[in-house]
Order: sequence, then structure tokens, then C-alpha cells
Amino acid sequence: MENAFVVKGLRKTYGDLVALDNLNLEVRKGEVFGLLGHNGAGKSTAIECILGTKIPDSGTVEVLKMDPIKDRKELFQKVGVQFQQTHYQDKIRVHEICEMTHSLYKNPADWKELLEIFNLDKENMKKQVSDLSGGERQKLSVVLALIPNPELVFLDELTTGLDPKARREVWNYLKNLKSQGLTIFLTSHYMDEVQTLCDRICILRKGKVVAMDTVSSVIETSNHSNLEDAYLWYTGEEDLGA
Amino acid sequence: MKTFKTLFIVESKLEIRRVNSIFFGVFFPLGMILLMGVIFGKKPAFEGASYTALQQTFGALSTIGICATGLMGLPLAVADYRDKKVLKRFKVTPVSPSMLLFTQVLISFIIAVISTISVFIVASVLFGYRFTGSVAGFLISYLLITLVIYGMGMFLASISPNLKTASLLCSIAYFPMLFLSGATVPYEIMPRTMQQVVNILPLTQGIKMLKNYSLGLPVTGLWFQVAYLGILALICIVVSVKVFKWE
Repeated sequence: MENAFVVKGLRKTYGDLVALDNLNLEVRKGEVFGLLGHNGAGKSTAIECILGTKIPDSGTVEVLKMDPIKDRKELFQKVGVQFQQTHYQDKIRVHEICEMTHSLYKNPADWKELLEIFNLDKENMKKQVSDLSGGERQKLSVVLALIPNPELVFLDELTTGLDPKARREVWNYLKNLKSQGLTIFLTSHYMDEVQTLCDRICILRKGKVVAMDTVSSVIETSNHSNLEDAYLWYTGEEDLGA
Repeated sequence: MKTFKTLFIVESKLEIRRVNSIFFGVFFPLGMILLMGVIFGKKPAFEGASYTALQQTFGALSTIGICATGLMGLPLAVADYRDKKVLKRFKVTPVSPSMLLFTQVLISFIIAVISTISVFIVASVLFGYRFTGSVAGFLISYLLITLVIYGMGMFLASISPNLKTASLLCSIAYFPMLFLSGATVPYEIMPRTMQQVVNILPLTQGIKMLKNYSLGLPVTGLWFQVAYLGILALICIVVSVKVFKWE
């Protein structure tokens, strides 16, 4: 199976704080991969180092066989990104941010269709982004990440703030895209979401990998019965061997 | 090209919706020219002068648009986009965030030009203003002033860690420049000592060039003015490019 991206020996420090310590990842094409960990465990730093918006202290990153910094113009034609807590230009309307994003790509998706799928069409389209509810804004950030028609998409806390119904809508749509071959790299604090979507997961604790495998294997190795208990066990303060 | 066109259209709409640049850059100088026109009428600049007080003022008022966009609108938009991580989001697209910056600069400059043209039209139609000098000299001076003022604005945006600092620094630069350089309060009515002090403001020098060119007077100290503005613009732009952070 071909890899969507490969990360080797990634390390990033902020002063004395080691945000990421020797991260090695291989995410395969067509896979949904979840990166888990408490706030501050290094998830966003990992995503930013992979995307090239942060420069790692050491280690190498190859995304779709390209260098995310040197080849960014070509690479980001095929990669969609949703950052945590996205902000937009003051006073911009929903259809305007979509048109703007749409204009950046060679083969973009139909953004009106995407808005419709996520129930953001009709009156919402003319609203200013700042007048949307938190959940609607979150869905918009997912829509914007999908406008490039990407081969690979990064979703940082994709459903934070969404109600249960909206979460299901997003999940179903992502599953549908996965079946068409999209590779998804996501972070999440919701274990039901991770279990529904992810093929494999990686759990980070203080910048170090403490588990990386399929969801069922991770649960099995932890001697717990469900993913949430397993996750808490892996990220807990007790020694891992104990 | 499609990208640039879309960015330009959307960002222009946002700039109009945000009101500030249009208000301080276009409506404010229009108010000033109306005021000056009513006060001065067709009076000569001084007894025996070959040109009117209004003609003398035109060069000064034509820079207000440059100042409002260059020292407020542009740097604040850039600092805001950096704070909101709009620029960072562009870094994970095929388009460079510098295209967004360029769009902002262009929109600001267009507003400045609209401002100057509006002032010219109002002055001509309502108060019988006549431009008697060198159009080429005026335009070149205008561009040089834009370069130095926008350079200063970008410099302030670059050295500010956040929007709050940027808006403080911009106010500190904008208001003295607006009131002391002769852009609003005529340089000619200032006491001699004050004139000597405000001579260090780049805009004071720029306005002198504009005045002389718009009145068709012999331009004195031209090389000093060009060198001063040119070097200042260069320093500001080089430092901005070096120091600027995308987030």
C-alpha cells in the first residue's frame, strides 16, 4: 500500500519544553488516521510540522512524496487543511470565503454542493461568518478544507462544538469520501468519533508516542474494554509498564 | 489571474464594509476641501501671490488618502489578518499569502487615488480650482510619498507583535503626521520654529514637493527631498520584509 505521508524522527521544542519527541508516522493512502492526546500533548504541533507551517528541530517529512515547504504550491493543490479554531476576515460572508477558497485551486469541488450537504446553504450563505453559530462555523471550516477536492485532508478537532446530529452528518460524509479514496488525518477528543472513523490511531503523551495501532489492537493491549478507558490508561500519569 | 481577481473583489468589498479607510481616506479630505474652499474662496495665498490659497492647499489635502490608507487601513488590516491567522491559512494553500498582502496594498492605493481625484473634482467644480503645475512632477512625488508612507505602515505592522500594539503605533504615527506635516493644518500658518521642527516629518517634505509641482513653482531642495524620502522608504521596506512574520 502506498503512503500518503511519512514522518521520521520529528522533534520540536519550544524553549525547554519538548513538544514532540521522535515522532515516526506512516499514513497509508485511503486510510483514516487519528492522532489522540490531551491538550498540549503535541497534536497541533505535529500537524503544523507535517504541513510545514512550523519548522521541526530535526526529522524529515514527506507528504504525497513532496516536501511540504519546498513543493508547497504543488502539494497544497491536493491537500486540504482545517486548523483548530479558525478565524476569518472581519465582515466576510459565507459565500465570499467559499468563493475565495475556491479560486485558489485548479480542480476545486463545487462549494455550493458542499454547503448544501452540511446544511449551510440558503440563508446561511449570505450571512457573515461571525454571525454563524459555533457549530455552523465549525462545519464551514470542514467545508473549506474539502473545497480543494483533496487527496489528503488534515482535520484538527473536526467536530468540536457540533451537536450530535451535525456530528453524524459530518461523519457520514467523511466516510463517503473515504470510500472514494480520500486519506484523512484527524485529531479528536471524542472516542466515539475516533472509533467510528479511524482505521488506526496514535496516542501522544507529552510529545511522545505511547500507542500506535488499529483501534481494536490499542484497546486489547491496554487490557481495558473500551477505547475511552484505554485512552485514559495510556495518557494517565502512572508508569506505563505498571 | 482568476485567483487574484476573486481576492481583489472580495477584499475590496470587505474594505468598503469596514468603513474606516473610506471614511478617513476619502470623506475626511473631501470635508477638508469643502471647508478650505468656503474659508479661502478665491483669496490669493498671500498678498501679491500669483496663486490662490486653495491652490496652495490642494497638494497637502491630496496626501490625506495616502496617510489614512497607509498608516491606518493597510497596517491594521495586515496585523489583523496575522492575528486571526488568515495569512497562516494561506500558507497551506497553493497561493502565497503575499498575494493577499499585495491585494491589500493595491486596494489601499486605489482608495488613496480615488481620494485625491475626488478632492480635485470638488475643488475644480465648486471652487474653480486650476492645476497650473507639472502633472508628471506631481505624479512622481505622489508615488514617492505613497512608497514612504506605505513603507512606514508596513514597518509598524511588522514590528508589532499583535493588533493592539499595531493600532497604538499607527495612531502615534498617523495623527502627528496628519496634523503637523501640513496635510490638514496649513504649513504656511505655522510659526517659523515649528516649521523647522515639522520639517523632519517625511510627509512635510513630500507635501512641499507636491505643492511646488502643483503650483508650477521652481522646486528647491528637490534632491534632498527625493533622497530623504527614498532612503526612508527603502529602510522601512527592507526592515519590514526582514522582520515580518506570517503569524
